[in-house]
Formats: sequence, structure tokens, C-alpha cells
Amino acid sequence: MLKRVGALALVTCKEGIRDRSLFGILLFALFVLGLNVAVAGFFMRDLGKVTVDMNLAALSFAGLLLVFFIGINLMAKDIDKKTIHLVLSKPFSRGEYIYGKYLGLVLLVVCTLALLLVFSTATVAGVHAMYPAYFGGFTWGVYFWAVAFIALQLALLCAIVVFFSAITTSSFITLIFSVASYLVGVSIEEVLFYLKSQAAAGEVVASETLRTVLEVVAWLVPNFAAFDLKTEAAHGLVLEPARLFTSAAYGAGYILILLWLATLIFRRREFN
Amino acid sequence: MRWRRAGINALMLVVLLPVYLFLHGISWEQRAEVRRSSPPGYTMPAPFSRVLAMGYQGLLSDYEFLRAITFYGDRSVKQERMSAADWDFFTYSLEVVTDLDPYFLDPYVLGEGLLTWDAQRFEEANALLTKGMAYRDWDWQLPYYVGFNHFYFLKDYASGSEYLMQAAEMPGSPAFLKTLAARLAYYGGKSQTALLFLQQMLAQSNSDTLKQRMQKRLLVLERAVQIEKALQRYRNEHDTDPVALQMLVEEGYLQKLPPDPYGGEWGILRNGRVYSTSKFVDPKPAQSK
Amino acid sequence: MAEIVIESLYKKYKPGLFKKPVQAVAGLSLTVPAGTVYGLVGPNGAGKSTTIRMLLNLIRPDRGSVCIDAQAVGDGGFLHQVGYLPENPYLYDHLSLRELLRFAGQACGMSTQQIEERIETLTRQTGIAHALKRRLRTFSKGMRQRAGLCFALLHDPQLVILDEPMSGLDPLGRKMVCELILDLKQQGKTVFFCSHILSDTERLCDRIAILDQGKLVREFEADDLRAFRDKERSLEDEFVAAVGGGN
Repeated sequence: MLKRVGALALVTCKEGIRDRSLFGILLFALFVLGLNVAVAGFFMRDLGKVTVDMNLAALSFAGLLLVFFIGINLMAKDIDKKTIHLVLSKPFSRGEYIYGKYLGLVLLVVCTLALLLVFSTATVAGVHAMYPAYFGGFTWGVYFWAVAFIALQLALLCAIVVFFSAITTSSFITLIFSVASYLVGVSIEEVLFYLKSQAAAGEVVASETLRTVLEVVAWLVPNFAAFDLKTEAAHGLVLEPARLFTSAAYGAGYILILLWLATLIFRRREFN
Repeated sequence: MRWRRAGINALMLVVLLPVYLFLHGISWEQRAEVRRSSPPGYTMPAPFSRVLAMGYQGLLSDYEFLRAITFYGDRSVKQERMSAADWDFFTYSLEVVTDLDPYFLDPYVLGEGLLTWDAQRFEEANALLTKGMAYRDWDWQLPYYVGFNHFYFLKDYASGSEYLMQAAEMPGSPAFLKTLAARLAYYGGKSQTALLFLQQMLAQSNSDTLKQRMQKRLLVLERAVQIEKALQRYRNEHDTDPVALQMLVEEGYLQKLPPDPYGGEWGILRNGRVYSTSKFVDPKPAQSK
Repeated sequence: MAEIVIESLYKKYKPGLFKKPVQAVAGLSLTVPAGTVYGLVGPNGAGKSTTIRMLLNLIRPDRGSVCIDAQAVGDGGFLHQVGYLPENPYLYDHLSLRELLRFAGQACGMSTQQIEERIETLTRQTGIAHALKRRLRTFSKGMRQRAGLCFALLHDPQLVILDEPMSGLDPLGRKMVCELILDLKQQGKTVFFCSHILSDTERLCDRIAILDQGKLVREFEADDLRAFRDKERSLEDEFVAAVGGGN
């Protein structure tokens, strides 16, 4: 079983890597990395923070583009062009198909991120060498942890994409729902804490029903802020192992639930 | 048929292109006009900025900071005075930047550099810096600035000394801080301590615009110190203040009275400190608009 | 050895949200004995492709049963013995032929050596051995069809299901497919295919069924086929008679 899943993952990853759009995404990311070197000079002291901010933004945004466009395409193309008939004519169970495609997407993301990380490391090291005095708190360790958690965020996003692809037939709907899930997941923590602080200060900004709805949403949608180590990386703040472990476990748990649900739904699907 | 197509292409080249270039020029000029008379800027309130940043709060804080510093630089280059509304916007900008990323050092440094000397908004500067101290709890610079503000601007030597002591306890703080804090408690505000402060800020600074302004301030303070030293020597020997500073030159304590780079005239305050009519600030430009 | 038994198969599906449901297959029953070549013919929309998809568990029947080797068609496992070539196969564009075939082999649990041997044999047999390193994007329709055949047969399945295997092939290609099918039959495999080309169907099959509007209208066995081959009767005439009358 593992071999089958692995074979499908490999094929999916290869399809993705050889997509010409990837080239565009890489170029964009490299452009931002280069821009980072120029922009750093505009700031006064905290050049390390600005460099890290831009690098992590480039990596994470490139990852987003990768998942939303190439990732969704990889899932949808199979069904649109009926390649899935060919794949499912081999002894793949529906579950194996889902996991195989998912792992292929994740593999694609990890490879791309690894490549970009090489360039990013060079950029950060370069700016560091240019302005050594202004890299106060920066540590490579925290930086790499931040990148690892960006990869985890993207893996979670891949699971969301696979889930919606399993449900709908239109790749556009998958895109809309995946983007919406991402936007909500990224801002839900901010919104909830703001409402809580306002309530604590005695100011009522939103009605009770709205707050309840948002709390329900917070249960349904993954809290992407839990995987956001950008501030810690920018300032070299201390990372507690317990927090890292909890976040990783939370992410992994959510991914597994999504894939399980996707498999359940996919089993009932018919392919004409 | 071929001639007609060639004709149309020639028409495009000869007519459309120059028209576009002309319109392009006009459009940019219009935009420059619009920007010249632009009102002070607007920054979205922090909670909204945080949500809209979609996980990129750090990056947004960098961008907003650049906006703030170019806003000030713009006014500075055009030699326009910052109005009260301008300063309100500027202060609020820094608030938002530090709400987006409270660990970001630059807004605190910029706030200290400008809100105190230029805007005379000491309480706001201190509020900003105190907020930063809660997050950058390893950074001696922030309590140092707060301490300086208290002693130099607010004349609150007790609080100033307290903050400086706090800064002196922190890792990496310069050696002179402990003695400075002690001396503060004893002397009260003298130009020499301000001099040391500025020298440190200058050495650390990366921004050219700010460097120039500080060089100037450094220069005027060095000259003030020079005069104060001569003044002290005079007092020690005569047991009284001279009637006019010119007497220091006449009696040989100073070779000559160094000019004030801000264009003012030196004088002695009733408490014996040296001051200048320029108040160490650039003169107002002639009212143009 | 694999035999197919289809009993009272029904399938209705909705072509769109507000459209009337279409009865694609209406009470189909047929048996494909092991080791035979079975041909399914019929007009467009007769339900041939739908039947094949139910054979592969791509869609589930409303009523009735589909059994391969006396086991009901279920999730995944039975496919070890099945090779399928769809009509107009769309393959992973950016892969090379060799990568695609390797995938086919790995999906069936073959060892690397087995895979390489089969690739060699099959590509030579279908005449695309020279294109092993090329991306599938660059393949012509005929080559894609042959690639699909290799994909279907790589794991040497007992049951081969082909949906319009001759489509897009030039006369040489059609000859190749015919030889391939006969070769499979000689090896004792079961072949189930549907086609629009009646002449080839006549030549290759042991049994032929005519499908129309989801129902089995005529079935021809050994005697009938001998008559077709001896030109005593014409499959085309019988086809038109069985189907044309309904229109």
C-alpha cells in the first residue's frame, strides 16, 4: 500500500514541478528576495527584522501561490481530463488516491520551499554581512524553525485544497473555498482577541450572536496564527519546545481529520 | 491591402505614441501638484491593520514605518514645517507600527529622535517608549531614552536617574551609564551629559537624514559645552557670573565665541546655564504658501 | 482466468441539476466467459462506457450486480487483475513515457526488474519504444493510444477492458491492436472491448453483443460469428436492423 501511495505522490510531484507556472512563482520569490537587499538600507536599526520579514513573506507567499494555483490544478486536472479513470483503474483504493495526491502536493511544496530556502539563506547571510551591527537578536535556529512552520502551514493548506477538491467538481469553487478558509484562518485569532479585549474594556463592538458565530468558526477553521513564527524569527525571540510541539500536533491533527473526511466523501463519488 | 495596413501602423506610430507620451507627462505633473498640497496622511487604526495584514503584520509594520519616515523626510526636504496635525499623524503612525510589531526598534528610535527635539511632545514620546519597554525587555536603549527625556526635557531628575539605573542593569549597556545615572542625581541637567547621549546615538545610527540633524545638534552642544567650561573656570576664579559672554573672550577664557550653527546668539540663563536664542532649532523658513 | 458476470444492471444518472434523469443502463445482463474476446457494439449513448465504468467501480449501479471471478466488484483489490484503456486517454502531460509506465508498475506492486522488462516488451510490441524518454505532451493521438495500451497491460492482467481501442489509430496501428488482442487471447486472457468498427469486431470476437438504450438487444455467438466471417451474413445489416428500427 505504501508503495502505491508513494508512486502516486511521486508522479503528482513531478507533474507539479514541471508545470511552467512554477517558474513564474520562483521568479517572483527571487525578485522579492533581491528587493530585500535594496530595501534594507532604508531602515535605521532593525535591519535584521526587515530582512527576515521580507524573506519569510517571499517564502510563504510563493507557497500560497503554489498551493492555490498549481496545487488545485493538480487535483482538478485529474478529474477534468479523466486521468483519474486511468489512475483508479489500477488497484488504488479511494483513500490511497487521496493520500497519494496529498503527499504529492506536500512533496512539491517542500521541494520548492527548500530551493527558495537556499536562496533566502544566501540573501539573509548577504545582508547580515553588509550590516553586521544591525542584526541584533537574529539567530539562524529560530529562522529555520519559522520556515519549517511555514511548510506546516502550507501542508495544512494542501489538506484543505484536497478536501474541497474531493467535495466539488469545479476547480474554481475549490479555489474560492480554499482562499476563504485561508483568509479566515489567518485572521480569526486577531478578530476574536480584539473582540475579547474590547468586551473587557467595556466597549461593545459586536453583538453576542456575532461573537458566538465567530467562536464556532474558530473551532471549524484551523488557527493559522498558531504556526506563525515570523515575529520570533525577526527578533530572535526564544521558542519554547512545548509550544512548538503543541502547534505541530495541532496542525497534524487537523490535517489527518481533513484527509479522513475527504476520503469518506471521495468513496461515495462517481466518475463519469 | 498591405499598403492600408502599413498606413494604419504608421498612423499609430506617428500620432498615438506622441499623444500618449504627452498625456503621460501631464498626468505626472498633475499628480505632483496633488501631492504638493496633500493633507497629512491617514493610517488605518491598529486593530484593523492587524487583521488586514493576514499574518504579515511584521511586513506591514515595515511598510507603515517607511511611510512615516518618508512623510517626515518629505516635509523636511521641502523645508515645510510639520503642523500639529502632521505631528498627530506621525505619532499615530508610530503607534500603529508598534501595535503591528511591538518589538520593532526603529519606530522607538525615530520617535525619540523627532517627537522630543522637533515636536516637543515629550509625554507622547515617553508613552511610546514605555510601551516598547514591556516587549523589548532586553534592550537598554529604551529606558535610556526615557531617562534622558525626563532629565533633559522634563527636568525630572529623580525619574530620569531611575530609568537610567534601569537601563544600566540591562545586558550590553554601555559602561558610562552607571556613572551617568549617579551624576544625574547629583548635577541635574548639564550639556555635557546630553553630549554623551548624542554621541552614542550618532555612532549607532544608519539613517543619513537623521545623522545630519544629529551632527548639527552635536556641534551646537559641543560649543555650548565649550562655553560652559569657560564659564565654570570664570566662576571659580571670580565667584560670580560674567555680565556678558563676550567677557569670556576678552578675559582670555575663550579664544572666540563659537558661532551657533542654528544662527542664534548665546546667552546665560538665570540658573547659570548657557543657552542660545535659536533654542537649538532650525529657523522658520520665509512664509511661502 | 477471469470471467465477468453482469446481472440485471440498472443505472440512472442526472446530466444536470435541472435536467431529466437519463436511464443509461436498463436491465443489462451478460456473461463474458473466461478466456474469450467479447465485443460490445451499439450506437452512441447506448450505455457502453457506463457499463464499463461500472465494471471498474468508477460508478456504482442502482440495481443489479457486477461480478468478476464470482466476486462482486468492490474497492480497489480486484483491479490487480484488470487492465483498462479508456476512450481518448488523457495521461499526465509532463511525465515521460517511461515514468508513466513505471508508475503503472509500481501501482500494481511489481518489482523494478519486472517493470523494466515489461516496459521493454510492451513498447516494442506497440511500436513506441523509441519515445520512452519523451514527454507525453509531445505524443500524437496515435502514440497516446499506444501509450495507454502499454499502461493498461503493463502488469499483465488477466482481464483486459478496452473502450474504443482502435480510435485514432492509422491502419498499421489497428493491425497492431488486432494482433495484440489475438495474442492476449492466445495467452488465455479475457478481453472485453467496445468498438464502432464492426469489421474488426467481427474478426476478433468470440461473442458480440449489441447494446441499445441501455438494453442488450442482440447477442451473437460462435455460429453467428462464423457466418459473419464467411460473409454469409453481415454484422452491419444485423446491427442496423436491431438498432435502426428503434429510431
